Amino acid sequence: MDIPALELAALSKSFGQLTAVDGIDLTIQRGEVVALLGPNGAGKSTTIDLALGLAHPTSGTARLFGGDPRAAILAGRVGAMLQGGALLPTTTVRQSIALVAAAHRAPLSIDEALDRAGIRDLAKQRVSKLSGGQLQRARFAIAVVSNPDLLILDEPTAAMDVESRREFWHSMREFTAEGRTVVFATHYLDEADSFADRIVILNSGRIVADGTPAEVKSVVSGRSIRFAVDAGEADAATSALSRLGGIRSLEQRASRFTLVSDDSDATLRSVLHLVPTAHDIEITAHTMDDAFLALTTSAATSTDTVTVGA
Amino acid sequence: MPFRYIALESLRQLRNLPSLVFTFVVPLMMLLIFGSLYGGSGQQEATTGLPWLVVTTVQMASYGGMMAALSQAFAITTERSVGWNRQLRVTPLSGIGYLVSKVSAALLVALLTVTMLCLVSMVVLGARMDASHWILSIISIWIGVIPFALIAVAIGQFAKPQFAQPLFTVVFLGMSVLGGLWIPLAVMPSWVISIAQTVPSYWLNKLGQIGAHGTGDALTPIMVLAIWTAALAVLITWRYRRDAARQ
Repeated sequence: MDIPALELAALSKSFGQLTAVDGIDLTIQRGEVVALLGPNGAGKSTTIDLALGLAHPTSGTARLFGGDPRAAILAGRVGAMLQGGALLPTTTVRQSIALVAAAHRAPLSIDEALDRAGIRDLAKQRVSKLSGGQLQRARFAIAVVSNPDLLILDEPTAAMDVESRREFWHSMREFTAEGRTVVFATHYLDEADSFADRIVILNSGRIVADGTPAEVKSVVSGRSIRFAVDAGEADAATSALSRLGGIRSLEQRASRFTLVSDDSDATLRSVLHLVPTAHDIEITAHTMDDAFLALTTSAATSTDTVTVGA
Repeated sequence: MPFRYIALESLRQLRNLPSLVFTFVVPLMMLLIFGSLYGGSGQQEATTGLPWLVVTTVQMASYGGMMAALSQAFAITTERSVGWNRQLRVTPLSGIGYLVSKVSAALLVALLTVTMLCLVSMVVLGARMDASHWILSIISIWIGVIPFALIAVAIGQFAKPQFAQPLFTVVFLGMSVLGGLWIPLAVMPSWVISIAQTVPSYWLNKLGQIGAHGTGDALTPIMVLAIWTAALAVLITWRYRRDAARQ
């Protein structure tokens, strides 16, 4: 196996009492497109800062291409769109890109960076006059100007409307088609689902799920079956249901039960056989949002049970 | 050293010239007022034998150069607050490279200010001195401005945007008064004169006067200014490395 593009080992970062990143192990191979998904405050931005060597870990290590992050930056192998990392408001887009390019050792031409971001028409525009979406794409041009092998993007499509988001991911596709590695933080599930080949879900500074979009979705795949029994029959129902096979989970609250099953038809037949008095039956399908919610709400206490894939 | 970056950065600051008009106007006014006050009758300064007009010109050129350099602090605070420095940290630009780019930008603007003030003194007030003495004087002031360029970077790096202005005011007032750039130190109480010996603006003016005179002990001012420069450079590069982390 090649040396991984990014390797985080037992990485932790505390700010006083607050532990922003709490023991993250993550290896990303070259050519992977990985989404870091998580709610605000999950530790995504801090993880990115640590990976880039912008912040020093409290413990653990971050390596890029097998070495110190700074070495990878010096070699021009890493490009980044940071949160709060911006262009200079008083310059034009071209001037800002030219400044960053001049700080690199073997940059692309300014025109090529503009083309990759699809913003050649904005070159002479003053940065302070850009819309939110245009600004993000100008920042993308800055991130790619060193012609990096690894792109790290912190919420690249924040402040973009639907149309510019689509165009942005189109530029990104061209970039990844050349076999480069992309790690992007987002809290848009659909983005992670459609653009990443791997989704890493963070919550409270920990990885709570790591797998392909399909695997992550399958954590709560199948359907939920909810039903109630009469108050006096709850215990009998519980023991009857213990013989039920092929279900993912069973939850009981007083006389209400929730089952999760990959084959809801078969499970429902069995349930009706075992608990004939079941009533108020509901069957619902899960979505990516459910997967996300399930993982990020329960995860802090039950990390191991929800980690999927490899 | 990233020369391309340093050149672009310096040129960028030159494009901001309109904002520097205000730092230029005050020394210009003071030069015109004090220059015609002292200079008209051609008196000479007792210890150096230089015409008072030249002494005043060097004083005001030092003040103008210092202000041009110090006012770079505002651009730096703004750049930091929009996250520009964070973006730069993801480039090979080192703390030293960053420092050199900022200092050379400040020096370029300062050189322009100092030269302009000397020209005004020559053309408008009729100050006369050998061309070589003018050049030596301008170069001396220019070198003396280096620590102020570093002070500007330090203010820019440490002060939050809302504190940059008051901090700048305290620094430039203190430096102007204590360094004898506004009022000759001779009229000050002795304790002020002893404090003055520790501030770089005193030695900036001193170096300019020595340059104009063409003789004198230039080593002491250069040493003091070099110590200021070295101490500030250490502080700034240390800060640049720490600064990238999100707050």
